[in-house]
Amino acid sequence: MNEETKERIKVIVGSENFSDALIDRVAYSKDSSEYKNRPDAAAWPLNAEHVSEILTLANQNYFPVIARGAGTSLAGLAVPQQGGLILDMGKMDKIIDINIEDRLVVVQPGVVYADLDRSLMPYGFFFPPDPASGSVCTLGGNVATNAGGIKGAKYGTTKDYVLALEVVLADGRIMRIGSKCMKSSSGYDLTRLFVGSEGTLGVVSEITLKINPKPPLVSTAMATFENLQDAGRAVSQIMHSGILPSALEVVDHQSITAIRENTTTNLPDVEVLLVAETDGYTKAETDYQMEKIVAVFRKNNATTVTKADSQEEAEALWQARKSVYGVFAKISNNLSVEDLAVPMSKVSDMMTAISAIAEKYDLKMPTVGHVGDGNLHPTICFDGTNKNEVERVDAATAELFRKVVQLGGTITGEHGIGLAKIPYMDWEHERQSIEVMRSLKEALDPKNILNPGKMGL
Amino acid sequence: MENKYNFAKKYRDQLLRCSSCGSCRAVCPVFGISKRPAYNARGKMLILKEVMEGTVELNDELIETLFQCTTCANCAANCPSGVNPPEIIKQARKDMVNIGSCHPVFKGMNEVLKKSTNIYAEAEAEDFSREKKANAEYVYFVGCVGMYREDEATEAALELLDRLKVDYTLIDEVCCSGVLEDVGYSLNNDLAFTNVERIRATGAKKVITGCPYCTRTFNNKTQYADLNKNGIQVIHIFQFLKDFDLGVKTKKRVTYHDPCDLGRHCGIYEEPRETIRKIAPNFVEMRHHHANSLCCGAGGGVRGAFAKNSITMARKRLEEAEEIDAEVVLTECNSCVHNLRNAKLRAQNFRIYTTTEFINLLFETSE
Repeated sequence: MNEETKERIKVIVGSENFSDALIDRVAYSKDSSEYKNRPDAAAWPLNAEHVSEILTLANQNYFPVIARGAGTSLAGLAVPQQGGLILDMGKMDKIIDINIEDRLVVVQPGVVYADLDRSLMPYGFFFPPDPASGSVCTLGGNVATNAGGIKGAKYGTTKDYVLALEVVLADGRIMRIGSKCMKSSSGYDLTRLFVGSEGTLGVVSEITLKINPKPPLVSTAMATFENLQDAGRAVSQIMHSGILPSALEVVDHQSITAIRENTTTNLPDVEVLLVAETDGYTKAETDYQMEKIVAVFRKNNATTVTKADSQEEAEALWQARKSVYGVFAKISNNLSVEDLAVPMSKVSDMMTAISAIAEKYDLKMPTVGHVGDGNLHPTICFDGTNKNEVERVDAATAELFRKVVQLGGTITGEHGIGLAKIPYMDWEHERQSIEVMRSLKEALDPKNILNPGKMGL
Repeated sequence: MENKYNFAKKYRDQLLRCSSCGSCRAVCPVFGISKRPAYNARGKMLILKEVMEGTVELNDELIETLFQCTTCANCAANCPSGVNPPEIIKQARKDMVNIGSCHPVFKGMNEVLKKSTNIYAEAEAEDFSREKKANAEYVYFVGCVGMYREDEATEAALELLDRLKVDYTLIDEVCCSGVLEDVGYSLNNDLAFTNVERIRATGAKKVITGCPYCTRTFNNKTQYADLNKNGIQVIHIFQFLKDFDLGVKTKKRVTYHDPCDLGRHCGIYEEPRETIRKIAPNFVEMRHHHANSLCCGAGGGVRGAFAKNSITMARKRLEEAEEIDAEVVLTECNSCVHNLRNAKLRAQNFRIYTTTEFINLLFETSE
């Protein structure tokens, strides 16, 4: 990016909203993944017109533009792999409209998930896909990755809530797609095309999201199992029971061991534990659902089942699941938080395979996940300064995803492809579908200026 | 080969452990007002990691970010990896000073404290119209902000001690100089020696401070170890007040701002609230409180070096008092009070006091 281009960007956004200082280039060189590369500069657009003018310039002068939210990607989506300009959407952070009557909100992409959640609380509404990084991640980032969360099984992921978008195309055109209606069969579903497109097809400048009334009550229970197969069968049978838990989470043996060894949390030394939550509007309703789930736990040889009688007790039951990332992060120099999903019936097969791969490559690979929707997060804990260990991590990761594909799963449930999953794209997707994806990319971004190098396209 | 910088020698493990998760974005006050990732702990850790690896040079170019941290430690409190960015940053500032790279304001502060007895280079200390006694049960140590900027708050604290018939004396105090440790320099031994000697000369066995930062410095720095060795205990005034039955009350809606120096740095959250609840039954918390409390923006030298941002941070904190319709904002730190008062907008109807100041006011109005 030459000096003249930089000067032109300064004119567009104002010099206070542009930087090519070293400190900014280093700060934008990384997200939460292990990938790293410095951009040439960064800009903070304040509106869609700024984005449009910048993209017009980029399209003329061929420089990469990487739209960035909070940079919490675990797969390298926000890393400027080929340099260029970071478009930090953080200053476009207004909640434009909360419309309860129409059951929607209109937001700018830089709004933080937690801020929207807080704003909806007084109305008794919520935006259900709740990523673990909710205190910092932005809704623009959630749309770009099609982010999920622990409520996915019952409430779906971001794509199920995006009604309409304002998108700035690679050539600078500003396009409004979708509808504010709860239903629409009008034309191609362009909105869905942009959800999860990782900033490779356009830059989202406004988002219209469907919101849900928030059930005020929950019941929570935790069950422990002596073997994985019992837990896996319990998960499958919960689905047969007709109950859709609002959360169903798994914590495996390696995670339990790490928690036992590094915290004061009082956990039994078991093979696996499941935490279930049901939600509703009356206690009878949530308890009824939970009793069914507890019956399934017991039928499948749960060694202990603990039901929470108060909010404090529920928080205690959640503590093991929620403390896992912190425990791993404190005992490891490097973490590779993997993300995969398999059909629910294959969850125990996948967890057995993860244990075997960890043993084969002599790696710590504790696993937690949202078993209610088959989404698992094996987290490889390693030392990035140990070359031999890094090589084993790479080999183990490849084997992990080969197994995922064999089981009919997907190489990412909610983190996206970014840079991390590129090697496995054609394991999951057949040639024709990758060709169609490439055609779409070429049609919308012929000069390949938008987040180039991502998704292997 | 061992790294030439002390921050890298001391904190290599922590720097490697930072997983760049970005949790600090939610709580960093400097990032909160600037939205510039180079200012939050993740950005600073990435920069220092590169310095450690030799791909970025430690020089003036880094002053803008490394010297712009209030050391409020909210990032450390919320870091899943257990990294303590303020400690790493303070060490990196010392490394920068060692190679001649420093924010001019902090360089000036160090020079001032070589010649003057206080950070403001004021010639005359306030005597608060009180005689300095040769002997007393307690020494009341005011601190620079209470002495030269928030003297009304100090006057009120002293009046309250008088009302409670406490046998205390002021001394010819000098700056505790703890702040130098935050901004790249080291505590001034001469100043520390002077304070220790003057406190000891009174025969007092307890020092009550009006400033939580002075309390931390006296209790934690080796230059003040002689106080402890001689059986002299140092407490903050709120610790002293918590056991008194004050007998005054307000109906006003009162909230409390946790100063970083008492809260996150010392883990003291409940005792001030116990005292406040006694006098203000209509007590409400702001959105961020206890370990998640927002910083007032004054710490780590930021008020002196980046005044505009410091005030903006304080405004952001006060927005939370407005959100809950507070009528009174109390805190236990003169520095917080100073910054928050400077930031308060005329349209904001609440009043800001130190707790002692407010209690004294309740006494005055009940008389």
